[in-house]
Amino acid sequence: MAFPVARERLLQLYKLRASIFNTTFNPSNVRTGNKYLRQRLKGKSLADYYPPRTVTVADMRRIWPELGFIDEQEQARVDAVERAKARGKGAPKKIRVKPDKPTKKKK
Amino acid sequence: MFPTPHLLKARLQVGGWINARILKDHSKRVAFAANEERRQALRFIARNTQIPQLQRLKAQLELNAMPSNTRPTQIVNRCMMAGKGKGVFRDFRMGRFQFRLNALEGNIPGVKKASW
Repeated sequence: MAFPVARERLLQLYKLRASIFNTTFNPSNVRTGNKYLRQRLKGKSLADYYPPRTVTVADMRRIWPELGFIDEQEQARVDAVERAKARGKGAPKKIRVKPDKPTKKKK
Repeated sequence: MFPTPHLLKARLQVGGWINARILKDHSKRVAFAANEERRQALRFIARNTQIPQLQRLKAQLELNAMPSNTRPTQIVNRCMMAGKGKGVFRDFRMGRFQFRLNALEGNIPGVKKASW
């Protein structure tokens, strides 16, 4: 059975409830800005979006050149060049001939 | 001691696939994280109707004057495999094509091509 309850009585109830459960009592819905204090800080998780830089073999090679970390890509290239040379397919030698005429200077 | 990126004094703190846009976005993220608390404090002052109007106005002006890099809306989720800015799955941090490639290759745990 529904019956009208005085607004003051309801407000008393809300106030009491707020004091018991430690919540805010704001009957006139004033904007207090608490929303912004309640929000979680998300900067850390946003800043961690991209994977962090890790130490690579190239770094180790730079730090400890004496330990002989191999640059696999460079090694593969050198091997390929040597293989080509062994088959007589190396790059041609540079032709070292002086040009007969000096090229005209452009103005 | 094993070298870490910090000890290496690496200029880049982002690993993986890198391009200028990813670096730009990352710098925005770092700037936002550094200024987040200040922004929230200013927001609280500016939006709080119980604070004197002049103080609220000042807070709002200061908030507006902060560099645009410190705004969260400047941040765009980019594909961490290819740097694309559109069609990026939030859950996988990957663009739709990179997602497909990696899923088909089996690099993404729990993702399987549907077939019925």
